[in-house]
Amino acid sequence: MSPAPLEVVLLVFVLACAVGAALLEDVLAAILAFAAYSLGISVLWVFLQAPDVGLTEAAVGAGIMTILFLLAVAKTAREPSGRTLESVRWRSLVLVGAFVGVLALVLPAVPAIGDPAAPVLSYDVTQYYLANSYEETGVTNAVTAVLAAYRGLDTLGEATVVFTAAVAVLVVFDREVLT
Amino acid sequence: MSDAGQSRPPEGAAYVESTIIMTTVRLIAPFVITYGLFVMFHGADSPGGGFQGGVIVGAMVVMVGFAFGVAPAREWVKNDVLVAVATTGALTFVAVGLGAQLLGGRFLEYASYEPLYHHASKYLIELVELAIGAIVAAVVVGLYFSLARGHVGSTEEDEA
Repeated sequence: MSPAPLEVVLLVFVLACAVGAALLEDVLAAILAFAAYSLGISVLWVFLQAPDVGLTEAAVGAGIMTILFLLAVAKTAREPSGRTLESVRWRSLVLVGAFVGVLALVLPAVPAIGDPAAPVLSYDVTQYYLANSYEETGVTNAVTAVLAAYRGLDTLGEATVVFTAAVAVLVVFDREVLT
Repeated sequence: MSDAGQSRPPEGAAYVESTIIMTTVRLIAPFVITYGLFVMFHGADSPGGGFQGGVIVGAMVVMVGFAFGVAPAREWVKNDVLVAVATTGALTFVAVGLGAQLLGGRFLEYASYEPLYHHASKYLIELVELAIGAIVAAVVVGLYFSLARGHVGSTEEDEA
């Protein structure tokens, strides 16, 4: 299946933003490029039929993370060097190139999007969730059923991680109040 | 701030008062928090859930902080409120899990509540989503306030 024109535009946009975030010398510009990248990715998630993930990406990646980055930048001093782009080190470039090469080699082995024979679809657990999640949990969004019911313990762990983040910030900042 | 004057560098100024931003935020804030609560409540039947909804609710407070300054936002949302919301969320989640054990099931086995209330599983999942949302919203706001204030020895104790 060939990608829709909008998907191609989005992919190019995301790629350009990612390169921009990595190469732009100005931290503020890099943060904005990163936010745009995150927003593009969140729309791509919707194209990939994963609206739950897309919503998270848009809220956390493009929204809150950008604000926290901006705050951090506002709190720190940076010296304008006058250049637009960061100078690229050859070693980093070789490393990134090798990583992209490995990914490109693996990519053909990934099943096509929506392929009914894809292992993730034919796997017993997936079929079980799709067949029984409404009966057993009473919620129609299977993602929520897996998240809150079948994998509830994992989600409790996730919520604890978020809670711990606030505690960790208090410890690092040597404070007793969040505000 | 040490160079509090008119020659403040643009990157040092964390807060710029703007009537447009304040009016816009005042207008859209109720809609943002409503949408956040919708995403939290409706996560069982549509995309969304506690994590996403919590971030959106937290973003509402962050928006107010951006528009009106961090100090007024701090006055508005007290530390006690944030801590209470986050811990209530965490304790609710654990209580739902332990309650199932008290009723003879396993930890977080919603089905064991079924004799008490029909469709218990669905409502408990909603409750758990709300608990997650409470944790996430409070932590997002807390991270924002903490980052805005900085380290205890920082020279920029209160900027806004």
